[in-house]
Amino acid sequence: MSHLKLSGISKSYGQFNALEAVDLDIAKGEFVTFLGPSGSGKTTTLMIIAGFESATSGQVEIENKSLFGLAPYQRNIGIVFQNYGLFPHKTAAQNVYFPLQMRGVKKAEGLRKAEEMLELVGLKGFGHRHPKELSGGQQQRVALARALVFEPSLLLLDEPLGALDKNLREQMQIEIKRIQRALGVTTIFVTHDQSEAMSMSDRIVVFEKGRIQQVATPLELYHRPQTRFVASFIGESNLIDVKITDAAKREARNDAIGAIQYAPSNRPPTGSEATLMIRPENIKLSRNPVEGRHNVRMKVETIINYGDNALVVGKVGEQMMRVRVLGADVVIIKEGEECCISWLHDSVYLIAK
Amino acid sequence: MNRFLRWLGIAVAIFIAAPLVIVVPMSFSNARSLQFPPPGYWLGYYQAYFTDWSWLRPTWNSILIASATTMLTMVLVVPATFALVRHRFRGKGIADLMMLMPLAVPHIVMAVGYYSYFGSFGIVHTHLGVILAHTCLSVPIAFLVLSANLKGFDRTLERAALSLGASPTRTFIHITLPILRPGLIISALFAFIQSFDETVVAIFISGRDAETLPRKMFDSIRQEADPVIAVISTLLFAAVILGVTVPLVVAHIRNKQARLAAA
Amino acid sequence: MGNCIARLTERKNLWPWLLLAPLAIYMAVFFLVPLIDVAIMSVTEPRPTLANYQRVLTGSLYLRVFLNTFITAATVTFACLLVGYPLAYLMANSKPRTATLILLLVTMSFWTSFLVRTYAWMVLLGNNGPIVWLLQTLGVQQPPQLLFTRFSSTLAMVHILAPYMVMNIYSVMRKIDPVLIRSAESLGAKGLALFRHVYLPLTAPGIANGSVLVFVICLGFYVTPVLLGSPREQMVAGLIGNQIDEFLAFGMGSAMAMVLLVVTLAILTIYHRRFGLDKLWG
Repeated sequence: MSHLKLSGISKSYGQFNALEAVDLDIAKGEFVTFLGPSGSGKTTTLMIIAGFESATSGQVEIENKSLFGLAPYQRNIGIVFQNYGLFPHKTAAQNVYFPLQMRGVKKAEGLRKAEEMLELVGLKGFGHRHPKELSGGQQQRVALARALVFEPSLLLLDEPLGALDKNLREQMQIEIKRIQRALGVTTIFVTHDQSEAMSMSDRIVVFEKGRIQQVATPLELYHRPQTRFVASFIGESNLIDVKITDAAKREARNDAIGAIQYAPSNRPPTGSEATLMIRPENIKLSRNPVEGRHNVRMKVETIINYGDNALVVGKVGEQMMRVRVLGADVVIIKEGEECCISWLHDSVYLIAK
Repeated sequence: MNRFLRWLGIAVAIFIAAPLVIVVPMSFSNARSLQFPPPGYWLGYYQAYFTDWSWLRPTWNSILIASATTMLTMVLVVPATFALVRHRFRGKGIADLMMLMPLAVPHIVMAVGYYSYFGSFGIVHTHLGVILAHTCLSVPIAFLVLSANLKGFDRTLERAALSLGASPTRTFIHITLPILRPGLIISALFAFIQSFDETVVAIFISGRDAETLPRKMFDSIRQEADPVIAVISTLLFAAVILGVTVPLVVAHIRNKQARLAAA
Repeated sequence: MGNCIARLTERKNLWPWLLLAPLAIYMAVFFLVPLIDVAIMSVTEPRPTLANYQRVLTGSLYLRVFLNTFITAATVTFACLLVGYPLAYLMANSKPRTATLILLLVTMSFWTSFLVRTYAWMVLLGNNGPIVWLLQTLGVQQPPQLLFTRFSSTLAMVHILAPYMVMNIYSVMRKIDPVLIRSAESLGAKGLALFRHVYLPLTAPGIANGSVLVFVICLGFYVTPVLLGSPREQMVAGLIGNQIDEFLAFGMGSAMAMVLLVVTLAILTIYHRRFGLDKLWG
C-alpha cells in the first residue's frame, strides 16, 4: 500500500505547462529522489506536496487521505529548504522546539525533545547557539532536526546540500541516510546532482520538461534507462541513432558504424527508429580486433587522463565515441592514431524512440 | 596629489565639525548676546531652560507631536509597505509614487496648503493639525526604511514556519515581526526625528498653543537670539552623538561576543 | 475547479488593496487635497483670475527673487560638490579607522537639526564671533559685514546640505571595484588622466544624485535663508512665507508656491526618467 500517492498532478502558468499528469506512489519509509535539471518540475512537485503551490488539477493523498484544501501548516510535512530557513532570532534548540511549540507542547518537555533531536543529528551541546554561530553543515543538521522533531508523515528535502562544499556534501549524504533509516521516515529528496541521487536513494524519479521520465532504482536507471534523456542524464553514455533492420535477429544499422547487434529486447519492430546505448566502461580499447566482440576502428582525438582511469574520445566515421579505460591501459594509444574499439552484444542497450 | 587631498580633507572636516562643536562652549557662556570666545562660563542658561515654561512647553509639545506622529505613521505605513513590497497589482506604480511624493514637494508649499486647508476645519494651531501634517511628511521616510528591510527579508523563513505547523497569523507574530523588529524600530525612529525636527510647516500651523521646539527656536533666533538656544542646541547635538555612536559601540561589543562564542 | 481558482486569485488581489487603503485614503485627504487647495487658491484668491500668475511671472521683483533662488541653489550645489567630493573620496579610500571617523562626522552633521546648524553659523559669523575676531587680530581694521548677507546664508546652506552630497557620492565610490582602477593603471592611466577617464565617469551617478538632491532642497529652502540671509535678497520660500505671514496674500503666495512646485517636480521628473527617483533617497 502506498503512503504518498500523486495522481494526475498538472500545473500550468497561463500557456506554460510546468507539470503534466504526474503519477507517483511512494511506500512508507522509502527514500525517493526527484532528479532533473532546473526547471524540470521537480521542485514544483515538491511545493505542491508541501502545499505552497496548488496544482491546476490532480490529487495528493497521504495514507489515502486527500490533502486538497489543507494549508501547509495543516499538512504535518517536514521540509528542509535549500538555504535551511533557520530562524535567525532563535537558538538552535528554540528552532527545533518551534514546531512543538506550535503544537502546544509544554516548554520544558519541548526543549528536552529538541535537545534529544539535536543529539540524534550529532549536535549535542550546540542548542544555545544562534544559527549565525554555526557552520553550514551544522545549520543543515539543525534544519533537519527541526523538520523531524514533530514526527512528520513525510520529510521533504529541497536541494539541501547545494550550498555545501564537496567533502561536507558527502559527509552529509551519509548522515542524512543514517538519520532517515533510524527514524524510518518517508523521504523525498530533490536534487539536480545525479551522483547524489544514485548514492542515497531507494528509488529515483527522473523529471524532464514537467514530465516523469522514469521511476526506478538507481541500478535499474543506470542499466536500463527508458528514454534517451535518462540515458544521457545518468552517467556517461554513447548514444547511437539507428534503424532496426531485423527485430528478430536484434540487428540495427547506423550510418557511421554499420550493423550493430543489441541485447535482448522485445520492443521496436523492424524498420523503426531507435537509439542504442553503450556505456563507455563497457567498451574495450585495443590495437587489434578482439575475438568474440563487436569490433570497430576508431580515430582517437582526445585523451583525458584522470590517473586511475582515462577517457578516450574519438570518431568512428562521423559518430563520436567515448571510451573509459583503466589508467594503465591508456599507454598503448596516442592522440591522432587509429585503434580498435570493441564491445559485447549484451552491453548494447536499446532505447525505443 | 595624495597629500593635497589629505589637507583638503582635513580642511573640509573642520568646516563640517566647527559649527557643530561651537555651540557647546556657547551654551556655558555667560554673555547676554552672541559672543565668541565667551567672556566667562556658567550654567545659568541651562537653569533657565529647565525652569522656563516658554521653553519647556514647546519641548513637551514637540515630544508629544512626534510620538503621536510616529504611531500614526507606523499604523499606516506598516500594512501599506507589506502590500507594496510583497504584492504585484495594478496601480502599484502610482501607489509607490504617492508614498514618495511628500519628499519631492517643498515644505513651504505644504505649509501654505495646510495653513488654508486646516484653517477651514478649525484645526490650525492645534496639536491635531500638526500631527496630521507631520504624518504626511514622515510617511515616505518610514516607508523607505521599512521597505528596504522588507525587501531583504528571506521569505523562506515564513514558509519554514508554515511547514512546521504555524498558522499565517502565528507565523507573523513569531517569525516575521521579531525578525523585522530592528527595521521597524529604525523606521519609527526616523519618523520621530522627522517630526521632531520639522520646522517650516510647524512655523506656519502650530501657532501659540501647539508651538513646537523648532518653531520656538526659529522665532527666538529671528527676534533676540536668546542664549538658551545654545543650551538646546547642545542638548540636541548630544542626543545626536549618543544616537550615532551608541549603535556603533553596541555593534562592536556584539561582534566581539559573537567572535568569542564562535571561537 | 477552474472557477474556484479564479475566485481565489480575485480574493488574493483584494488583500493588498485592503492593506494599502488606510494610507492611500490618508494621503489623499491630508496630502493631495491641501496641495490641490494651493493650486485652487492660486487662481481664486482674491478673485478668480490668472492675475496672480501674471504678476509672479512678469513682475520684476518676483523674477529677481526666482533668479536669485536659482543662482543661490546652483552656487550651493557647486560648492557642496567641491566640498563633498574630496571628503567622499577620503572616506572611500582611507584606512577603516579614518573612514569611520569621517563617516561619524558626516552622519552627526546630517542628523543635527538644521536650526542648530543655522544658529551655529550665526555665532561663527556674528560681529562678536570668532571669524571677525580672527580678522581683527590679523589687523583688518574694518571687518566686512558677514552675517545677514547672501554669503552667510549660502555658506550655511553648503554646510547643511554637504552631507547629502557626501553620502550620495560615497555610496557610489564604495561600490567601485578596485580591480577596475588597477587595470586602468596597468593600461597606462596615471594621475589626472586616471581620474578624468576612469574615476570621474564611474562616480558620475553619485554626483548627479547628490547634485539634484541638493539643488532641489535648496530651491525650496526656507529656514536658513530667512534667518541668515539678507532681507533684500530673498529666496522664493522666504517670499512665499512673507505673503502668507505678513500680507495674508494667499493668492500670491499660492501662485509662487505652484511655480516652485512645478519647477521642482520638473527637475525631479527629468531625473526620474533618466535614473529612477527611488535611488535619490535610497
